[in-house]
Amino acid sequence: MTATVYRSQRIAYWYFALALVLFALQIVVGLWIALQYVVTIPQGVVDVFPFSTARAMHTNLLVLWLLLGFMGATFYLVPEEAGTELAWPRLAVVQLVVLAATGVTALVGFFFGWTQGRPLLEIPTELDFVVVAAALAFLANVGVTLQRARRWNAVQGTLLGGLVFLAAMYLFGMPFYRNLAVDWYYWWWVVHLWVEGAWELITAAMAAFMLLKLTGVDRRVVEKWLYVELGLFLFTGIAGTGHHYYWLGAPRAWLWIGGAFSALEPLPILLMVWDTWRAAKDKPGALQPRLTWVYVGGMAILHFVGAGLFGFAHTLPQINYYTHGSQVTVSHGHLAFYGAYALLNLSFFYFAIPRIKGLPGGRYDERAGHWGFWLTSLGVVGMSLAFAVAGVLQTYLERVRGEPFMIAQQPMRFWMLIVFLHGLVVLAGVLTTVTHLLTLRPERVAEVVPIDAGGAAPRAAGTA
Amino acid sequence: MTPRLAKGIFWIGTLSSLVVFLAMTVHTHRSFDALTHADALDARVVEGKRAFERHNCNDCHTILGFGAYYAPDLTRAHARLGEDGIRRRLEAPEVLFADSYRKMPQQHLSPREIEDLVVFLGWVSNIENHDWPPQDSPNRWKRSTERILAGAAMSPAAALVKQESCLECHAIGGTGGGAGPRLEWIGGRRDAEWVARYLANPGAVFPGSRMPAYPNLSEGQRLMIGEFVVGLAASGRTP
Repeated sequence: MTATVYRSQRIAYWYFALALVLFALQIVVGLWIALQYVVTIPQGVVDVFPFSTARAMHTNLLVLWLLLGFMGATFYLVPEEAGTELAWPRLAVVQLVVLAATGVTALVGFFFGWTQGRPLLEIPTELDFVVVAAALAFLANVGVTLQRARRWNAVQGTLLGGLVFLAAMYLFGMPFYRNLAVDWYYWWWVVHLWVEGAWELITAAMAAFMLLKLTGVDRRVVEKWLYVELGLFLFTGIAGTGHHYYWLGAPRAWLWIGGAFSALEPLPILLMVWDTWRAAKDKPGALQPRLTWVYVGGMAILHFVGAGLFGFAHTLPQINYYTHGSQVTVSHGHLAFYGAYALLNLSFFYFAIPRIKGLPGGRYDERAGHWGFWLTSLGVVGMSLAFAVAGVLQTYLERVRGEPFMIAQQPMRFWMLIVFLHGLVVLAGVLTTVTHLLTLRPERVAEVVPIDAGGAAPRAAGTA
Repeated sequence: MTPRLAKGIFWIGTLSSLVVFLAMTVHTHRSFDALTHADALDARVVEGKRAFERHNCNDCHTILGFGAYYAPDLTRAHARLGEDGIRRRLEAPEVLFADSYRKMPQQHLSPREIEDLVVFLGWVSNIENHDWPPQDSPNRWKRSTERILAGAAMSPAAALVKQESCLECHAIGGTGGGAGPRLEWIGGRRDAEWVARYLANPGAVFPGSRMPAYPNLSEGQRLMIGEFVVGLAASGRTP
């Protein structure tokens, strides 16, 4: 299938476009954050635009652009899987406008100190209700479309299950909790059960859909492995929430349960890597366009390294006692979000946008896209390694030797400079990718890149 | 593997983990009151938590290890800084961190908010969380503290030299400043009593001396420093 069949699928484009703009904005704010670790910001600037405000913007932009990507992908995927137009296409447009307005209001509000004051859940309660209304409209739209079609399959079920799971967990982040420990207990129901629960379901459905369309492999085989992967993801992920409960004033049993379940978390990711590799190997003729496979491969590898290995490295309580709440966490967070979710979204955009635009054969001039991928990916990997060095320094100096916080931070500043420099590379890559995705052009026959061993590398420096 | 087995793996995996998680959630809720000393969680603490959230403290500081990593963890701030230490930081961060390479915003907190935050951090510091963070744990005595204690135990005078920051201007061996003479050189010309007298009021001995006076030290402490300094000399006093 190389073109959209249903008109309502095209709504996805506007979700993707907004997501991409927010992604670029997230990186710009991130650079400003990194800079604050390297140089001294004058008191006058700090009083007006403190680190905390920039950090709230950086993380909320991340969540918003990833969710907009998921929603757009859902609107693209559902009509095709269900074999019918969306139930209410206009509602999908209204939903996008409402979410965009909410996002802008929240970001401007942060600047003026309008915040719930809880990391990642800073959006004020009043706006939370708007988000809930938009989410209900979204779920109703998707649910009714699927229900009317009555062509249920595992991809649809996984997607809808993931979306309902996602929306339900959001509710736990809304109330005011009197007890700080209880507050953090349910904070993780949102954050952890999103990224290691609901989001895994949604992205697994998106990935399965793409693999089905790209390779044409037997749906029954894909669905079978989807069940096994998700079973392992949820088995390790749900009780694995316990790895956040070691030090918040919860019972000691969490050290055993959190440690044991989360130590198994790399396994489903490994299975997913193997699954992707198998799909690519069995259908070598289907590896077109090349860039899609660069993304799918990059996603499998960095998902495993960032979420699986970097997560495993400090998930055991004996290690986590020293690394908890240090730059080690930051290193894991950046590589895991990029590998598991940013790349998945971008893969899907590269899959869907050419089809929405009706480019022949779903093909496009992909040269700039390769530059975008490699600059961003190498930048993020380098950044995560620099965060990791800073984190090890912090762990040793502050946690083991007991040096005061600011003394321990001093030698970390050099590594935050390295983070900043890699951030510049990431920004260049992201701007290239965003521009490329929003201006995809049909491939010119004379410039077809031959599919050889080195085909993944860009041959020309031109940007689209 | 059959599709039936695959579905079985999905449901067994998901449901078994969910059962463990929900059972532990019940157990955790039953334990929270004791572990967090909920009986001490009064309206002031709650007001402090609201102030903590209103000013978005958690997007620079961690608390219980959660939040942003830009500023020190606040779990044991009450024990580490004391109530006055917290108050001073909240009242005038621009003064307290004037020399720091990282600043804290002046958020113009009301006196009431500052007191609420002190009470809140006091309650947080008593949460029983398996002795985290290590750097503030009295059970894991800081290595740096150990070193200072070891130095003080060997020589109280050395601890005084450190406390009064003598090495900002004077040097011993490879460390210290160059504004004043090396401390090893003093004992060649002066004795301990002279050094003690000089410390009390340098200007009385050498009018125009740039060295500050140390009237805050007792006579005995000044004499101890004198003996320490004279003891550093390579050879005895020359006439």
